[in-house]
Amino acid sequence: MSRIDAIFARCFIAVAIALLFAAGPMKAQDWFKTGTGLGITKARVAVPDTVARSSFTQPLPKTFHDVLWSDLDYSGILDLVSPSFYPLQAPGQPSELNAQAWAAAPAEAYMIAYGNMTLDGPNISFAGYLSDVHNPASPPAIQKIYRGAATDSDARRLAHQFADDIIAFLSGGQPGIAQTKIAYVSARSGNKEIWIMDYDGANQQQATHLKSIALTPRWSPDASRIAFTCYVPLRTVTSAQICMYSAVSNRLIAFPRFRGTNSSPAWSPDGSQLAFMSSQNGDPEIYVSDANGAKLHRITFAAGVSTSPTWNPKTGKQMVFVSDRGGSPVLYLSDSDGSNVQKLDLPDMGYVIDPSWSPNGQLLAFSWRRPSGNYDIYVMDIVSRQLIELTKDEARNERPSWAPDGRHIIFESTRTGTRQIWSMLADGSQPHQLTFEGQNESPNWSPK
Amino acid sequence: MVAVATIRTDESLKRFFYASLIFHIALAIVVAISTYFSPGGESWGAPGGSVTVGLVGSEPAIPLPEPDVVSPSRVVDESKGLYKSEPQPKPQVEPDATPIPKFEKNKPPKYISRPSKVLENPTPPPPNAVPYGGGGTPSVPVTSFAMGTTGATAAGLIVGGASGGDFASRFGAYVTAVQQRISREWLESTVDPSLMYAPRVRVTFDIMRDGSIRNIQLIQSSNNRSLDNSAIRAVQSSSPLLALPAAYSGSSVSVEFYFDFRR
Repeated sequence: MSRIDAIFARCFIAVAIALLFAAGPMKAQDWFKTGTGLGITKARVAVPDTVARSSFTQPLPKTFHDVLWSDLDYSGILDLVSPSFYPLQAPGQPSELNAQAWAAAPAEAYMIAYGNMTLDGPNISFAGYLSDVHNPASPPAIQKIYRGAATDSDARRLAHQFADDIIAFLSGGQPGIAQTKIAYVSARSGNKEIWIMDYDGANQQQATHLKSIALTPRWSPDASRIAFTCYVPLRTVTSAQICMYSAVSNRLIAFPRFRGTNSSPAWSPDGSQLAFMSSQNGDPEIYVSDANGAKLHRITFAAGVSTSPTWNPKTGKQMVFVSDRGGSPVLYLSDSDGSNVQKLDLPDMGYVIDPSWSPNGQLLAFSWRRPSGNYDIYVMDIVSRQLIELTKDEARNERPSWAPDGRHIIFESTRTGTRQIWSMLADGSQPHQLTFEGQNESPNWSPK
Repeated sequence: MVAVATIRTDESLKRFFYASLIFHIALAIVVAISTYFSPGGESWGAPGGSVTVGLVGSEPAIPLPEPDVVSPSRVVDESKGLYKSEPQPKPQVEPDATPIPKFEKNKPPKYISRPSKVLENPTPPPPNAVPYGGGGTPSVPVTSFAMGTTGATAAGLIVGGASGGDFASRFGAYVTAVQQRISREWLESTVDPSLMYAPRVRVTFDIMRDGSIRNIQLIQSSNNRSLDNSAIRAVQSSSPLLALPAAYSGSSVSVEFYFDFRR
């Protein structure tokens, strides 16, 4: 038998070689070869000052450069070269780039992001370039002109766009988050209302004016709507309901009213369904409805409270929610129809709340109050159940929400004494405080 | 004489019959008494101890025991490994009759078998050894020939070090971007946790004009299925990559990507 196999194998190899020769010269396909070990080094990028080609009355080139710098610095994938190592001449366009000076010590940059800004009446235009200083002959990886109004907010917007283009290139096609938004709850106007800001804390604007209580905002997957918990009176009875806000038309959209308390909405990854807690039949359980509130059905059936559902954003087939059916609130994993419920066991007791599933579906962030201590943010690898603690001994840290790039987490923290919104990289490094005014809580990162 | 014998037999049988009758009656009485006094027999079926069975109102009202969570072992790896597991012993069938050996032909064996150095390695296999048998051909990079990349078997190349055409030298930044992306998508948690070191895994694929990835092929296995799968998954989840550089005129680029695993 093995002899027959060997004969077959020989015949096959002979035929294959014959075919190879018969095919003659193959199509001259371009190819390259690269690879990886487990660790990766961050790309070293230099970001010289933006060259002003006109005389600006406002410091727009500086604003642009500062925003670009902080976007790239906070991306988590780049290593920015310190400005003190830069050559004296900042290039404004490829012909002015002295690539060798940037590639040599002490700068030792790998890429350089630079450009020039011109004022054209009420408008500005920025010509942005990203060049590989080790291959000065090759065309710039990015060469693009960004246009906007000559205002501070537009200069910021253009810088965010340029930063996203750079990050998308240097990360190999994963979009950046510099143009994403944060929805959160702020009580600075007297009532708890939904507010929206840029991902870096700029541009904070009030969205709702319900003059009651608004909680738990959740962006729809296309970032066009925000579902949240609202307290709206009806015939002198005020109860918690699900409200819907359109981020496109900046107004509330109708959503049906249900009996009892309804709260903590969550979008399915395709945006067609909404899961939320409702006590319309007595016990607070999780219900799923269409995005317009129709076709309501119940998916959890257990004594005790079940709330805070979150869908697996990658597959939409699984859900994690909080339930106190076993005593204290902990996380449960189930299929999205409510079947196959299993407890997510943790190595310690305590309250486990606010689950948030990472965009790639592999990590779960949540806040956990262990018997000894404050609420802290943890991340769990769903498959291996490994835990990483991201915050430690810094007052209460709650309600994590993932950025669409899966590299950043936003959360609320009381580490400054008041409850404020913070963001950090998903490994717990580089915490940034985003809000400073009043009390702010319950942030949610827009998916795009 | 015959009659005398018959009478004697009759008498003896009768005596045994009566003895047996008395014994059976006594046994029946003992059984009856023990049944009467046995504990538990009384309350059986009594109204106080009955079980009420009603219609099922709603499913969760039944306090079902929690099912045992059996997490599938990620350590199991059915790929073919380097170490041969012991073969199943064949059932020995005792021959009905054996021929009588002839003394003349029973010579001493010419060759005394020594333990093979190859198959019977004195060092025990490491705990992460993959058992022998089940798929996994020897890793011959056949596909690299099919791609017309004869240089693909050269070892130890660094980023952009080797290429067909001048793609890597012209668009070095693109190559680095691809490398960064796939490296980030390669997750250590998807690899068998007991694996500490593995041979290099090589994967080839094509990047289309729009950055999508096609024709993912494993051309060199690490002999560990979980590592091979994690490498392929890293490439799959990197799609779509960055679109090919605008200055590049071709419609696609082939990539050979290696993964070195060492914890």
